[in-house]
Parts: sequence; C-alpha cells; structure tokens
Amino acid sequence: MGILAFLFWVVIFALFYKVLVYFKSIEILGEILLTKLMAVVFLTFFLMLTISNIITSLSTYFLSEDNRLILSAPVSTEKIYLAKYLITLGHSSWMVLLFGIPVFMAYGRVYGASVDYYLWLSVILLVFLLIPGGIGIMVSTALVNLVPANRAKGALVVLFVLLLAALYLFFRFLQPEKLINPERFSELVDYLAMMRLPTSPFLPSHWATRSLFPLVKGRFDDSMFYFLALLSTGLMSVLAGSWVCRFLYYRGWSRSYESRDVKGKRVRFLEGLFGFLLRPLHGPTEAMVIKDVRIFLRDTRQWSQLILLFALVVVYLFNFKALPLNKVPGMSFYLENVISFLNVGLAGFVLSAVAVRFIYPALSLEGKAFWVIMSSPIELRRIMWSKFWTSLVPLLLLAEFLIILSNTFLHVTQFMMVISTVTIFLITIAIVSMGIGIGAVYPRFRFEDVAQIHSGFGGMIYMIICVTFIGLIILLEAWPAYLIFMARMGRYSLGLLQWIEVILCLCLTVSLILVAIFVPIKIGLERLSRIEI
Amino acid sequence: MIQLIELTKRFGQLVAVDRINLHVKPGEIFGFLGPNGAGKTTTIKMLTGLLKPTSGRALVDGYDVVARPMEAKRVIGFIPDQPFLYEKLTGVEFLGFIGSLFGMQKTEVGGRISDMLGLFELDGWADELIESYSHGMKQRLVMSAALLHNPKVIIVDEPMVGLDPKGINLVKRIFREKSEEGVSIFLSTHTLEIAQQLCHRLGIINEGKLIAMGTLSELMKALEHKTAQTGTLEELFLALTGKSLDE
Repeated sequence: MGILAFLFWVVIFALFYKVLVYFKSIEILGEILLTKLMAVVFLTFFLMLTISNIITSLSTYFLSEDNRLILSAPVSTEKIYLAKYLITLGHSSWMVLLFGIPVFMAYGRVYGASVDYYLWLSVILLVFLLIPGGIGIMVSTALVNLVPANRAKGALVVLFVLLLAALYLFFRFLQPEKLINPERFSELVDYLAMMRLPTSPFLPSHWATRSLFPLVKGRFDDSMFYFLALLSTGLMSVLAGSWVCRFLYYRGWSRSYESRDVKGKRVRFLEGLFGFLLRPLHGPTEAMVIKDVRIFLRDTRQWSQLILLFALVVVYLFNFKALPLNKVPGMSFYLENVISFLNVGLAGFVLSAVAVRFIYPALSLEGKAFWVIMSSPIELRRIMWSKFWTSLVPLLLLAEFLIILSNTFLHVTQFMMVISTVTIFLITIAIVSMGIGIGAVYPRFRFEDVAQIHSGFGGMIYMIICVTFIGLIILLEAWPAYLIFMARMGRYSLGLLQWIEVILCLCLTVSLILVAIFVPIKIGLERLSRIEI
Repeated sequence: MIQLIELTKRFGQLVAVDRINLHVKPGEIFGFLGPNGAGKTTTIKMLTGLLKPTSGRALVDGYDVVARPMEAKRVIGFIPDQPFLYEKLTGVEFLGFIGSLFGMQKTEVGGRISDMLGLFELDGWADELIESYSHGMKQRLVMSAALLHNPKVIIVDEPMVGLDPKGINLVKRIFREKSEEGVSIFLSTHTLEIAQQLCHRLGIINEGKLIAMGTLSELMKALEHKTAQTGTLEELFLALTGKSLDE
C-alpha cells in the first residue's frame, strides 16, 4: 500500500510537472501564469479547508461521543479547544496535503529549486493550515450557539447559506472566465495587467503564494514579509478561536445536547420510493437498506458532510459553464472532445471524494450496534450487498447528472456523450464496490467522531486506489477513442492492427472494471467473516 | 438445548476460556457465575457467533454455531450487557428491523411488536428515537428484541444492569414464564441473589475454567465438603474463586 501511495504521488507530480513545463515555455505570459496557478491552488485549498474545518469541527467539538467524558473531567476549555483543534486540523487537512504536496514539488522541480524551497514549503503549509482551522472552529461555535448542532434542518440551512456566500466570493476572487478569455481585453497589456493582479491582497492564499513563489527561483524577495503576515494571522486565528471557545463552547455544547430531536421523523416519500425499488430484494436486505436510509436522513453528522458534496459539485460544474473554451485560441472541436474525456476522469475523482465520506464508512457506521447484525441470522454477504445497493443508486444518479450536464456545457459529440455516460456508469459501480469492500477490510466500529472513519489509513488507501483505477480506465479508453475519433474526422476506416488495439484496450478496460467490482467485495467479505467483536 | 464441548478461546498467549464442557436442558435456567475477567462474556460471545472458538464446539438446538450459524442464530434471543443500539431509530422501527432480520412475516411482526412494547412498558415511547431512552429503557428494548421472534434459547449477559427494581421484577417473572414454556436460558451474572432466585443450575467459571457446576444444594454440599462448614452462595463463590470477602 505504501508503494501504491508513492506511485499515486508520482503520477500527480508527473502530471503537474508536464503542465508547469508547458506553461513555463510560453513567452511573457509563462511566469505570470505559473504564479497565478499557484495562487489559484492556494485559494482553492483555502476555501475547501475552511468548509472542511467548519464541518469537521461541528463534529469533533459538538457531536463527538467523547465530549461527555471530557466535559465532566477537570480540564479547562482552552485545553479542550487545543486538543480538538489538532484533531480537527488533522481530519480536515490530510486530503489537501495528499494532493497538494506533489503539486508544489512539481513547481520546485520545474525551476530546479534548492532544498530551501522544500523546507520553506513545509513551513508555509503548516502555518497556512492554521488559518482555515481557526476560522472553521469559530464559525461552527457561533453557528451552534445560533442553531443547535442536532437540529439537522436549521443547521443545514445556515451552512448552505454560508457555503453559497463562500462560493460566490471564491468565484469573484478568481474570475476564471477572465483567465482564459483574452478577447474580453482590448489590449494584451490589459490582459497582462489583469493577470498580474493578485486574487486579493488580503487573502492568506495570496500571502502564501507571495511567500513561497520567489523561493522556487532561489530568491527571498519579500517572502519574509508575507510569511509574517501568514504566521501572525495563523497564530491570531488560533488565539481568537480560543477566546470564542472560552465564552461560547460550553453554552453551544449544552444547547446542542438539550435540543435533540426526540420524535423519529419520517421522510415518507423517500422511504416509499426505496420500499418500491427494493421490492425484489430479500426481506433482511430490504430491512437493512431502509434502516440505513432512515439513519442517514436523521443523522446531522452525516448530513453536514453533504455540504462538501454540494460545494464540490458546484465548483465542478461552474468550471465547465464559466470557461469559454471555444474562445481560447487554438481550442478546436477535437480539443473539446479530449477535454470531455478528461471530464470523465475528473467526475470520477469528484465521485471518489464523495464516496470516501459516504460509502467507505457505510459498514463502520454500524458502530457499536454491529452486534445486532452479527448475532442475527443474516448472511454477511447480504449485509455487504445491502450496503452496496444503498450506496449505488444515489452515486449513480449523481455521476450521470455530473457527466451529462458538464458534457452539455462542453457541446461534445454524441459519440463522446455515449462513451462518457457508459464509462462513468461502470466506474461508479466499481467505486461503490471498492468503497464497501475496502471499508470492510478496515472497519472501525468504535469511533467518537464519524470523521475518524474516512480520515484513517483505510480511507487514504481507498482514495488512492480509486484515483489509480480511474486513471487506468481513462488511459485504456483514451487510445481506442482517439483512433476511432481520428478515423471519423479523417473519414477513413481503421486497419486490422488498429482494430486489434481497440479491442485489446476495451477488453482490458472491461476486465479491470470487473475486477474492481467483484474482488473488493470478495476480499471485504473474507475479512468480515473473520471479524470478532 | 445448549451444549459446550471442550470450548476454548485464546487471545494470543491468554487462554480466556479453557476447555469448557456443559449442557443446558430445554426449559432450564442456567446461571453462569464468575469474577470479572473470568471468561463469561467471551463464552457468551462464542455462543452467539460474535467470536469464533479457537477449538471445541458450541451447539444450540443441535446446530454448531460455527458450521451452521444461521440455523443456530435463528433460535437464539441475545441480550448483551451493554445496550448499544441504533440511536437514530425509534423503538418500533428497531423492533421492525429485528423482525425482518429474523425472517418474520410483516403481518405477524406488527402484533408481536405491540405485545413486546406493552410487556416491557415501552408503549409510550414507541415512536421516540432510541437516543432519548434511558439506560434501563434501552435494556428493556433489547429484551423486547430478543424475545420478539419467540426464541428457543435466551442468552443473557448481566440481565439486570441498569434496570430499576420494578424492571428487575418484571424480567425475573418473564424469565420464569419462558422457562415454563420450555425456553432454555443461559444467564451470566455477578448478582448472586438473582442467580440464587432464578437459576435451576449454576456453573462457576474462574480464569477461563469451569470450576464448579450443579444445583444450588449440590454446590452447597460441595462447599461443606471443602470448608467443613455451611455457608451462603456468596461464601461458596468466594471460596471457589479464591477471593476473600474483604477483596
């Protein structure tokens, strides 16, 4: 698994390295684009980390099982705050570090940066993480005082409003459409001037970029100034979080504890729909699915994670809607279709990010009540498949929604539309199967906080396997699709050798998908049959 | 109805349960006594399929719990010591779920749920989320679930934990009635008074080994033989497990 993680890093590194080398080769614009890209990466991380910290801290500070014990012990609020701060930071930041570090290392490699750059990078990243951590905790503490954490609907509405505001700010700071649509600028000079403008001089992402970027060229420039801005804000956010917690934490926790929903509210429409869809299933399987749906709909800890899903989907679709790819010089009909192919990979990545939070933990979420199932006359196979079906239907709907809408924005050919919808259909089944299977290999029934499940070792392994799988599928499909596409464009027929290549690639694709669907469930089942609770 | 044959469980070097042999007849209430860490819960977990034996066999209604787990589990009603439940389900939903897991028909399960909720005085809480239940109410709900499918065997780990005196009385009455109906009850407890009042036979386990087994009078005779004096079950227990009352 360690090797797999390393390979994954190498792939991300190699991809970014290629892109950065290409950017660097563009005259005049190259370096500006590279700075801008780093700023965009930092800004995206900043936004995602802030949202992730709000959601994770709601869970760690207010909904975690260990709170009763901790709050009854003679421990000061400041100490609780600091301990939980570190836990929150770890849970909400690992994915960013996993995907972010190879990107920044690629920058270093492109410029042949010295060891100073890498040392500085680790310092900057650590300090950078403090700020969204502090903000997240302050926002969630204030939020719980306004709307108790257990009031699912109220908390969700407020969170959604906050998220929309954050997304609006993100797109206004970034203005992605301007990056790629030079026609809107009457003069090249205007375009360059816009590109040189910082995303916003008051954002930590800007300070991180300005502090780190000069180091790739071995210069310090005003790195120290921006680093101090970053450090002072980071420390201040930790301190401010501590003040907020001192006054509001206990009150908020108490409110969230007092305001639990007592009645088991039912969403009759959804339960009816599931009941209808599950009619062909065996009684216990149907019962498992309905139980999981009911618990999911009532559990604020899981619902709050939907905010992240919503953010991912909006950012994803906005990119395709806002980027006027057809106006970019050199962007052709052919390139648009290549992008639609890459779109499948991106959508797969978004689906994996959703699956690691919702599908991978499906079995672990049985929690301490797992004895109920283990002591009942239900085969483990049924448990696994019930989890599979519960997860598959919503993820498939999301997958097809994403791919059809983004392809429509891209105006792809019917051929590409069919290929992408079928591919994403199969990829989604595999993602679900791997989530359930790997979730059974690394079950965690004793947890204080749901975030512990997906942020553990198993979650990381699952994410890496998913991304590697999606990458392989795209590679295997890209070549035959390219051959067929070029033959159509050039109005010629494929030769025998080319047909063999096409068939071989497709056979390999189908085999890989079948392996990804059945092997993880089988391994998970074997692991589960040895489990002792 | 329950048969343990050379049942053993090892955790690495530790022998938690060491070659236990016993037999519980239909309608018998068997008390399984022992100090903390003696191996009571491990034995119960092996009986209910939550742990696999290292060696030996556990048979329930003639079915080996490892070789034929589905058949064995179908006749067992299990009440664990800690009532960990699905906190976001209501009492009635939880019982409905259990009914489905045990393959009960939808037409049959509704009536049984009402009966059980009534029997354990939970009918006023049927539509409340389990997370709002007290510990004792959760324990009573677990008992309702265990009896829902009319099991032939009831396996109970510390039945009275968290119950108020009224609840304890109710459970004792239900266990006696079930025993009269021919249901075997395997009951692990620390509460010697409960064991004395309820159980037809007792087994005492210490450091994984079954060190004494028989009816209360048989065990008392054994105590007389060992200490040359008469005594209570508590004294017998302490004498056999090598503890003094001060400990």
